Formats: sequence, C-alpha cells, structure tokens
Amino acid sequence: MNIHLKTALDYIRRSPFQAVAAFFVLTLTFFVATNMAILAYASGQSLKYFETRPQIIAFIKDDGTSETISALQNKLNLDTRIKDVRYVPKEEALEIYKKATEDNPLIAELVSPSIFPASLEFSVVDLQLAQNVIDEIKAEAIVDQVGFTASLSGEKSLNTVVARLKTISQYVRYGGLILVGILAFTSFLVLLIIITMRMATRKSEVEILNLIGARPGFIRNPIVLEATIYSLWGVFIGWLLSFILWLYLTPSVVSYFGQISILPREPLQFFIIFLIILAAELMVGLFLAVTGSLFAVNRALKRRR
Amino acid sequence: MIKFENVSKSFGRINAIENISFEIADGEFVFLTGASGAGKTTILRLILGEYLPDSGRIFFNKEDISTISKSQIPYLRQQIGSVFQDFKVLPERTVRENVEVALAVIGIPQNDWEIRVKNILKLVNLYKRAHLFPQQLSGGELQRVSLARALVVNPKLILADEPTGNLDWDTAAGIMELLERIHKEGKTIIMATHHQGLIKHAKHRVIKLNDGKLEE
Repeated sequence: MNIHLKTALDYIRRSPFQAVAAFFVLTLTFFVATNMAILAYASGQSLKYFETRPQIIAFIKDDGTSETISALQNKLNLDTRIKDVRYVPKEEALEIYKKATEDNPLIAELVSPSIFPASLEFSVVDLQLAQNVIDEIKAEAIVDQVGFTASLSGEKSLNTVVARLKTISQYVRYGGLILVGILAFTSFLVLLIIITMRMATRKSEVEILNLIGARPGFIRNPIVLEATIYSLWGVFIGWLLSFILWLYLTPSVVSYFGQISILPREPLQFFIIFLIILAAELMVGLFLAVTGSLFAVNRALKRRR
Repeated sequence: MIKFENVSKSFGRINAIENISFEIADGEFVFLTGASGAGKTTILRLILGEYLPDSGRIFFNKEDISTISKSQIPYLRQQIGSVFQDFKVLPERTVRENVEVALAVIGIPQNDWEIRVKNILKLVNLYKRAHLFPQQLSGGELQRVSLARALVVNPKLILADEPTGNLDWDTAAGIMELLERIHKEGKTIIMATHHQGLIKHAKHRVIKLNDGKLEE
C-alpha cells in the first residue's frame, strides 16, 4: 500500500472521534444535497409538463363548419406567437372524457359525442403573450369559449398559473441551493477545523519531517488523502441513503402525481439520474476535501523553513 | 565536508555566532563544545539550513549552502542524519515506522525497506521493540530510534545536538559507543555537547565556542 495512504488510514484509525464527526457532517450534507437535487429535478419536470401541454383550448361553436375551422387553424399556424396547433373533433373529445372518467364507466355511457364541442388546442411560445392571444381568439366568430389547461387554485389567467408554478419551482431550486450551500460551507468548515486540529496536534511531527528532509508534498499528501477519504465516504453514504429512500418512495410519488412524470418510471433512467447526481457530488466532495485540507496544511507549512 | 568561512548570525540584538571559521574533513568526529548559549546549536542549524547566515559562507561537500533556496533545503537535509537532545521521534508511529519514514522521505522503494530497517534496528539493539510506540520506550531507547532513523538513509554527515543531554551516564555511554561504531565505518560526525566527561573519554577533535566566538 502506498505510504501516504497507509499514513492517512492510520491517522483516521488513531483519531476515531474526529473521523466520526467529519463523516457525519459530510454524510448529512450529501444526503440533503441528493434529496434537494431530486426535488429540483421533480419540480423542473412538473413545470415542463405544464409548459409543454397545450395550454389554450378554443372551443368551437356548434355551427362552425370544417372550412371555417380549417381557416382558423391555418391562421393560428401562421401566427408566430403560437405553436403546436391541434384540432380535436367531438369524437376525440368524447374519448378524452371517457379516459378521464374510466373509473366510472357508467358516466361515459350516458353521454354522446354531440354534447362535446370540437376544439383547437395550442401553446404559446412565450407565456407572457398568452393573455393577449386568448383575448384575440375570443373575438373570433366561431369560437364559443377559451379556456386554459392548468389551474392550481382557481386562477383566472394562465399567466397566474404559470407564475405560481414558476415560483414554487424557484423556491424549491433556490431554497435547495441555499440549504445545500449552507451545509456544504458547514462541511468545509468542519473539515478545515479537523485538519487544522490535526496540524496543531501534529505540529511536532511536521517539524520533525521537515528536519529529516521531507518535501512539502510528503507532509501534505497524507493529510489531503485523509480529508479526501472522509469526503468521498460521506458523499457515498449520504447518496446511498438518499437513493434507498427514493427507491422506496418513488412508486407512491409516481402514482400520486399520475400523468405528471416528476420522476422517471423506467428503472434505468431513474438509476442514471442518481448516477449523475453521484458523479457531481463526488466532484464537489473532492473539491471540498482538497481545498480545505490544502488551506489548513499550507498555513502550517508557510511558517516553517 | 563542512567549511565555515567568517560566518556570523544574530537574532535581533543577540550575536549567536560571530565570524566563525573552521573546516571539518570527511570521516572526522568533531565535538562542538561550549556553555549554553555559546552557539553550538546555531552552527548545527545553519548546516541544516534552518537559518541562513547574516554574513560569511558555508560549504557542504564543496557546495555553498549559505544562500540555499527553500526548495533545495529538503535535498540538503536528506544527506544529513540528525539526532537531537529531545529525540524528535514521531509520536504516533511505531519504532519501525519511525525508521521507515526516513526511507520514504528519500524515495527508497518499499521493497527495499525490510532488510535496511532490520539491519539498522539490530545495530541499535531495537529489533525486538520494532512494534512499540515511543510512549512505551525509555529515553535511551528513544535516542536509539532517532539514531536509527538518522543512519538508515546512509547519510554523508551526522549531526548530533546534545544526544546524551537527557540521558543518565550509562545510557549516554551506550549512545556514544554506537556513535563510535558508526564513525569507524567512515561517517563524519559533528556532535554538540557540553558534557566534558564524554569529550575527555572519546578523545576526538574539539571546536570550542565561547559567547559565539571560537576559542583558540
């Protein structure tokens, strides 16, 4: 075994309480960081869902003919503010209704296509334009009503809905980032303190190694390795605990949110997301360990000749 | 091996050594003697590069080390084996690990350590105590660990700063005996001591210092 690695492992073994303190703080940090990453991903997915669904539905009057409907559809297609225009005939509307009420088939049997209006569904390229577009569509002769698909608390305009979703998503992302940032800073400080304590208790060792001709790297390496071991171990265990938690929770969460795929349904994709998070956390953990330990060691070495 | 040319060093207003000149040849055993504060340790530290002289020049193996850069100091120290009054043994490593660290510092491959460490520990009579920690050893044993660490790298020069200072007479005599054996193998030894008994007994060249100056 490399001597520096052996020395680092010996340091850890011979100071178990410091090792446990560092390990716990880092595990907690990365457990929370992994959960925050998943929550940020989920909120992003939910926002994406509402942003990409047809947002506006223009219900066509019963007296609308196929020519007038086509003309309106073409007009919408040519409008640069609008995208993904789709015509939904009465029959398809009935199918949508049946699907939405599939747990109560009796209700579906009581209706016929004739009671459902045909509609033109479309999205806007920029949600800020939505209200203007809605007002214009309402003025069209063959349009009976205009609705929008998402409404969380009875909002009257689409902008309000999306703004609310964006706000929620931002709270999750920025709040998560701040929390993780605080925890990461705490971890950095804990590592710094532990390494500085190491250097203080090992002041005589550093002096002796200097006197027998050890170069700064020889003195520094076991200490940096020790911090790296704490960090990577903390990352891995924190991540693993979070992974197990989400393995357990995912079926319930997916079932609750139904159509909104806030978490991947396929195991492979689920695992890939967690692997990406692990890779990112390993890099952050390594960065924390190396910068913290180098800072502490270099301060101690700077004073010596 | 070592040459001092008009070397002076002061710390603030205190002149530790003043205008010192001497030369020590390969294979010599030289005592540096004088009262406390005479400048013995200062001379050893100047050789080790811990300080730079205020004036004058110092040569080690014909190389001027009086203006040595910080990055070159480890390489200088790797050629010198040091033994100290307070032993300077690594407290959290065993006897074996203390000796091995010197080999690791100079980059000897790990495969070669076993035989070298074994031979040195047998020389200083600590082979059976190789697994013990410094807290489990006596003063004389700690000094022998320090000596073993100094010798295992096969240095050109051994500097001993009051190596018997914290030891009783019998233990000190044991350490001196080891140093004599090492000297007979051709090593250059510079030993700082104020122990007149040891100096008289050993009968080697003596450089006397008095208040930072050489005594004629």
